[in-house]
Amino acid sequence: MPLSILIPMVVIGIAGIAVLLHLLGLSRPRRFDDEAAARAAWLREFPANPPARVILCHDRSAALIETVQGAGVVWPMGADSTARPLAGARIAPAAGGIIIHLPDFTAPRIRLRLDADEARQWLSKLEQTA
Amino acid sequence: MTDQITYPDVVNFAVPLFIAAILIELAWIVTKKRGGRYETRDALTSLIMGAGNVASGIVLGFVAWGFFMALWAITPLDLGTAWWVVVLCFVLDDLRYYWVHRFGHRIRWVWASHVNHHSSQHYNLTTALRQTWTGTFTFMMVVRAPLILLGFHPAMVLFVGGLNLIYQFWIHTEAIGRMPRWFEWLMNTPSHHRVHHGRNARYLDANYAGVFIIWDRLFGTFVPEQDDEKVDYGLVHNLGTFNPLRVAFHEWLAIFRDMAQPGLTLRQRLAYAVAPPGWSHDGSRQMTPEIKAAHLARHPEDAGTPGFD
Ligand SMILES: [Zn+2]
Ligand SMILES: [Zn+2]
Repeated sequence: MPLSILIPMVVIGIAGIAVLLHLLGLSRPRRFDDEAAARAAWLREFPANPPARVILCHDRSAALIETVQGAGVVWPMGADSTARPLAGARIAPAAGGIIIHLPDFTAPRIRLRLDADEARQWLSKLEQTA
Repeated sequence: MTDQITYPDVVNFAVPLFIAAILIELAWIVTKKRGGRYETRDALTSLIMGAGNVASGIVLGFVAWGFFMALWAITPLDLGTAWWVVVLCFVLDDLRYYWVHRFGHRIRWVWASHVNHHSSQHYNLTTALRQTWTGTFTFMMVVRAPLILLGFHPAMVLFVGGLNLIYQFWIHTEAIGRMPRWFEWLMNTPSHHRVHHGRNARYLDANYAGVFIIWDRLFGTFVPEQDDEKVDYGLVHNLGTFNPLRVAFHEWLAIFRDMAQPGLTLRQRLAYAVAPPGWSHDGSRQMTPEIKAAHLARHPEDAGTPGFD
């Protein structure tokens, strides 16, 4: 197939599907219903390291996890979630929350939306662990 | 003479079909409110990975093609182009696919390329297109060498390989439950391939088939989808990024970092490349058997059930 047909078809196809999905409201990130949902999301990644404490942020978009092996975070990946321990993390305040920089090529930057009180609380918690 | 035979570049010609099928699946899910899930960034990443796969084929395809034509030049055998030769080639190439795919999950060097196909937490038709950019570097083209040495023309081998990929497109869906019994026995199906995409301990390293599921039945890697255990799609350690470059290269980087650690023996460095994913020199990570054992320790009632026998 000539590239002069293949390339426009692929580009228009991809862009069209992405725009359509967005217009259908399918870009909404996951929200954790409650602490139990955040706990389950953590256990889904680390079944051998159960949370001792789960601190869900007020808009339910992420949770700080405390375990005997150290702190971690669960956050949305699109409609789903993932989780990482926070060992080695660099945490910085950012507009509307904090940014966590991890020494992890597959999760280099985690942007969390927190209100001012939460941001302070998380920063102090995370400074103890990271 | 037969050096000039050409077959259509089937995967490229299937692109409009892929787009149409995705739109139909999406319409089905949106109207019926069941049969799968779509998310914008996940789908976009999958589609970009698919486009990059085609591009890498255009850029790097000459490597495998040069290798195949060199084999074709030395083999004294030529099976010709009769229809039954094409059919035989398709079946044998599917056996080739089974082993390449099994290596893809059991040798970290090959997994580094294949991992991205499993990196979505979704399972829909776009997931089928989430294909590798780095297949050339796995050297898995050598597994096709016997076919060419047996007298199947390289163009035919690539043609049936393309058909194989196209077959696998439609099975990446939750919109289809089960096919008729005889079909589920013989062919790879949405149900069987859902299992293959599962990160559940039960479903790890199962159902490597491309077109015919019988290879898994034959070689002991078949696990049927369980009605009481929904497949959890994705990787044992799910990615925290949608960036296609990170998706494409992360495991290669991880291999090189592991190999470059100070204080390892040469044997350990090599094992980081060729041992199964999850191998580590100090036992700090888990491979499939350990993941299954840890699951059974938490859920002893699952012992002896499919995937745990
Ligand atoms: Zn696979
Ligand atoms: Zn697949």
